[in-house]
Amino acid sequence: MGAEIRTLSRAIAGPVGAVAIVLAGGFAFVLIISSDPVLAYRDLLFANFYSRSNFALFVNRMTPLLLIGLGVVFSFRAGVFNVGGEGQLYLGAMAAAATALAFPSAPFPLAAIIAIIAGIAAGALWGWIPGVLKVRLDVNEVVSTLMLNFIALLTTEYLATKPLRDQTAYGAVSFVIPQGAWIPEIPGLPGATSGAVIAIVVAPLAWLALFRTEWGANLRAAGSNMRFAATVGVDAGRQIVVAMLISGGLSGLAGAFYVLGIGHRFEQNFSPGFGLVGLTVALLARLHPIGVLATAAFYALILNGAAYMQIDTDVPRSLVGLLTGFLVLLMTARLRGNPAPA
Amino acid sequence: MQVSQFLASVLGQTTPILLAALAAMITTRANILNVAVEGMMLVAAFVAIAVGQASANVALAFFCALIAAIFMSLLFGFVAIVLQADFIVAGLGLNILAAGGTLFTLEEFYQDPGGLRPDAFPDIWHVPSGALTWLPFLGPAFERQSFIVLIALAAAPLCAFVLYWTPFGYSLRSVGEDEHAASAAGVNVKRMKLIAVLASGLLAGLAGAQLAMDRLHFFLPDMTSGRGFIGLAATLFGGGLPWATTGAAFLFGFFGALGDRLQLFQAPSQFVLMAPYLAATLGLIVARWRAAARNRPAPVKEKSA
Amino acid sequence: MSEGPIGSLLQLRGLAKRFGDKIALDHVDLDVEAGEIHVICGENGAGKSTLMNILAGILKPDAGEIFLGGAAISFADPIAAGRAGIGMVHQHFKLIPSMTVAENLYLNRQPRRFGFVTDHAAMRKGAVALIQRYHFDLDPDARVARLSVGQRQRVEILKALGFDARILILDEPTAVLTPPEVEELLGVIAGLKVRGRTILFITHKLREVKAVSDRVTVLRHGRRISTRPTAGLSEADIARDMVGRDMQPPKRGGAYHRLPSAMATLALRALTMTTASGRRLLDRVDLEVHPGEIVGVAGVDGNGQTELSEAVAGLAPVQAGAIRLRGADIGGASPYARRMAGLAFVPEDRLDRGLSATMTIAENVAAGNYLLKGLIGPAGLVRMAARDAFATQKIRQYDIRGARPAAAVGQLSGGNMQKVVIAREMEKHPAALVVAQPTRGLDVGAAEFVHAQILDAADRGCAILLISSELSEIFALSDRIAVMFRGRVLKILDRAVATEETVGLLMNGSELEAA
Repeated sequence: MGAEIRTLSRAIAGPVGAVAIVLAGGFAFVLIISSDPVLAYRDLLFANFYSRSNFALFVNRMTPLLLIGLGVVFSFRAGVFNVGGEGQLYLGAMAAAATALAFPSAPFPLAAIIAIIAGIAAGALWGWIPGVLKVRLDVNEVVSTLMLNFIALLTTEYLATKPLRDQTAYGAVSFVIPQGAWIPEIPGLPGATSGAVIAIVVAPLAWLALFRTEWGANLRAAGSNMRFAATVGVDAGRQIVVAMLISGGLSGLAGAFYVLGIGHRFEQNFSPGFGLVGLTVALLARLHPIGVLATAAFYALILNGAAYMQIDTDVPRSLVGLLTGFLVLLMTARLRGNPAPA
Repeated sequence: MQVSQFLASVLGQTTPILLAALAAMITTRANILNVAVEGMMLVAAFVAIAVGQASANVALAFFCALIAAIFMSLLFGFVAIVLQADFIVAGLGLNILAAGGTLFTLEEFYQDPGGLRPDAFPDIWHVPSGALTWLPFLGPAFERQSFIVLIALAAAPLCAFVLYWTPFGYSLRSVGEDEHAASAAGVNVKRMKLIAVLASGLLAGLAGAQLAMDRLHFFLPDMTSGRGFIGLAATLFGGGLPWATTGAAFLFGFFGALGDRLQLFQAPSQFVLMAPYLAATLGLIVARWRAAARNRPAPVKEKSA
Repeated sequence: MSEGPIGSLLQLRGLAKRFGDKIALDHVDLDVEAGEIHVICGENGAGKSTLMNILAGILKPDAGEIFLGGAAISFADPIAAGRAGIGMVHQHFKLIPSMTVAENLYLNRQPRRFGFVTDHAAMRKGAVALIQRYHFDLDPDARVARLSVGQRQRVEILKALGFDARILILDEPTAVLTPPEVEELLGVIAGLKVRGRTILFITHKLREVKAVSDRVTVLRHGRRISTRPTAGLSEADIARDMVGRDMQPPKRGGAYHRLPSAMATLALRALTMTTASGRRLLDRVDLEVHPGEIVGVAGVDGNGQTELSEAVAGLAPVQAGAIRLRGADIGGASPYARRMAGLAFVPEDRLDRGLSATMTIAENVAAGNYLLKGLIGPAGLVRMAARDAFATQKIRQYDIRGARPAAAVGQLSGGNMQKVVIAREMEKHPAALVVAQPTRGLDVGAAEFVHAQILDAADRGCAILLISSELSEIFALSDRIAVMFRGRVLKILDRAVATEETVGLLMNGSELEAA
């Protein structure tokens, strides 16, 4: 039992240490540039708890990060470097919005459910393409998912500026979706989408699926050694494609939740890089679904906190982007050399 | 001169992609998939505009842009090679750092997250108008192109020369093909990789400088818009071979220029902008599909037993 | 004995090296005379390769000294060793396939023009001169990717000699060669001796020891057991030193008699696999394995054995022919369906195909066995306690030392990894087992254990297709021996009538016309 606790604590120590180092470095930096560094950092870390509405915004920010991060866990565990979360998110959001707008008179739960399914399907499609290309033709998935991101974002931009554009609103946004497709708020927390509850439930389910089923063992076998997986009778290619369907589907779900539960319309600039931050969140959690719960919450915390920090002090919110860059850069670094071969 | 105009547009579209592709190709030959080109380009573009605005000295701006990109590549090399981080994760980290760093600087020092638009900016050297009229079609296409376009066109054969005609090139390729064999022959694998990464920084710096300094003379936070990744796709499309990679970069540049043309026919701008990404994706699929077809086992022709 | 004569070219004193808990070298002394061919032999894991890697500057010793020509030396890297006159030819070739012979010979030491341009003409001239000096049959302009294994080895030897090596180390050079190539290599080595080179030759094949060497040193468990002149030694003497006792070849438990009516468990009919260019990796292979029978497939590596094993397991597609398991055609079935139909497969490379190094021992043993062993509980969830108990039981049954169910399989030694693979594959009591190179890289004890498991399975009625490039293993276990050459099964011999000579000739393709 002691050994398990030791491995667990070692697994946690790395990410926590990296976060602590980067936050400490960030504080040193803020000390130099800011006249009120303590307030800046207090806002960054705690402003989410100042009020109920702040906390609701925090919940809304966490939901897409959590879902995208969990999606990344599935794809990376299957050995696919899926960097396409952003595109899958956008297509999911657009599909949900377009579907909701297409059925204006559908009643409440039905309209929302159809829109959610459309969002998941669109995201899954955008994960399926690079998955199949990798399995069948060995097309590098990093490049294909990056390209598909641009294609997805330009497609939604076209739809949001031309056919679905709400002329009365500012910017590239769609019409407001009918109320029947709205996802309710969390009771007692005005403004917070109940999609968050589902996202939080998905995390332990993902853990069960990956680490407590034969299916999950097969998926991880395919991801860690495809040739081994084939030897023990696993259809590795299919596992990889399914993992990409789930990965894209979760990102698509994140987009649908945003449109149906938060924005109530498609907005072309709704994502402050959720895709890449979701990837960061998953990597920081060492691709562990329960860990993603913690890292997604942490990132939502500082992303929102940065906004309050910018309002209250002279430190710009993009400090978080700067720190994230360093964090990701150093996340997989090995400070010691390789152990000697046995 | 419709044809020359179109050729000029192809050249303009191709240059940053070609430089990014060569940057990715050099590291690919040292066994590093380089997704960090994008970030290096972005930083170079930003530094070019910031320094040009502050100093009004075009040469200084150009060289600072290159140095900034090389500095970024050094950081990438340090983390990926010395600290042995996963180079894809490190590359993405560098891109996030570049985007975050430039945005932070815009907000903190220029109080404008939207971009940096100097009122006056010194112009870099362009091929003078009318200097090449004696050359049909091609001549006019090169007129008013920046000197970086010429550097890019020279860089492709230079890369081929270095890879195949110098001891350094042989050592670099041996690292890319089999690190153990290379180090058994005494090649310093880490040094080779670091040099390749630094070279990619220089080429990415040229690409970033071209984006910012050629015509636009301003900086936008999403200025590079994936050209580094398209360059990476061109490298993979070209199988890491200098000429094929150059050809792929021109192909993607051609589709970019074609997209621009389509704009004249009122095609939605999004689909125009999409052209090079679509071309890169389809190009990659075709290249891999052909490779797969080549490796398919031949059917058995039954000999009479 | 440990104080060598004054003036020995190379003297090793108290060399020690350990990897983690494992002692690879335990204070070894050794003297090598100038101009001799000195064989270092010992079982796998005896420390031969570690010793040579230290000499070649690849590894650094934990303790001990090396004297070359009387002067103490230590090497920072292989290049420093090369400059000092020690060249090494590795078992796994270190060549760049896309480059030519000349380019490989001159990698990292090319002649230059203007200081930075490769002088291709001078490089080619130098390569031709080097090839001619040693009378090697090599085309300097041929790409290494197109060379045969024997030719690649000659490139490696030239590369090692290129620095004017006084001492040439050859690490198991014959493992990948056909018998005539071995003869050629032994001729090359004799020629090098005539030219005044000192040769250190690592092998565990006793016949080669007798054929080439002046003196032989035996290592066992990291210690030097003996160094003696080869003349007057018998193969049995050397073998006793290597193993530490008289060797006991494995015995078939029950004498195997094929029932005349028994249907073959595994039957291959005209199995053919081709490359894109139409070359046949497998060429109309016909083979039958009956219940309780072990059919050994002998052959030099690279003559289609790997393809044969993967074709039967369903991991590589065949272009023609049929595979029948207990009468049912499984030629088009997925690997999963084949396993369900009663086929088990122990692949030749544990880390490539046999295991997932980053997953745990429990997960590796349970893979493919979840349903069979009742490890799936309600709602499709894995019963973790049952799975770990299952793994613990296998660890005990197969004596997988130092293993916990939750430990990553990559931490195990090669022998224990192989036991994990075999434990998993035997669990289903398969009707047929394809086992490739089952003892490659294992020490004597682990190899004996694996052999016993294979024989036990045969005694239980399992039909076994044993693929091995070790003739001793083939002869010790097989009931019939099939010899493969260039994708074809040249001949199938009964063990009773087969001799190492006839099989050796067949491995060389000598009966190709007759077949």
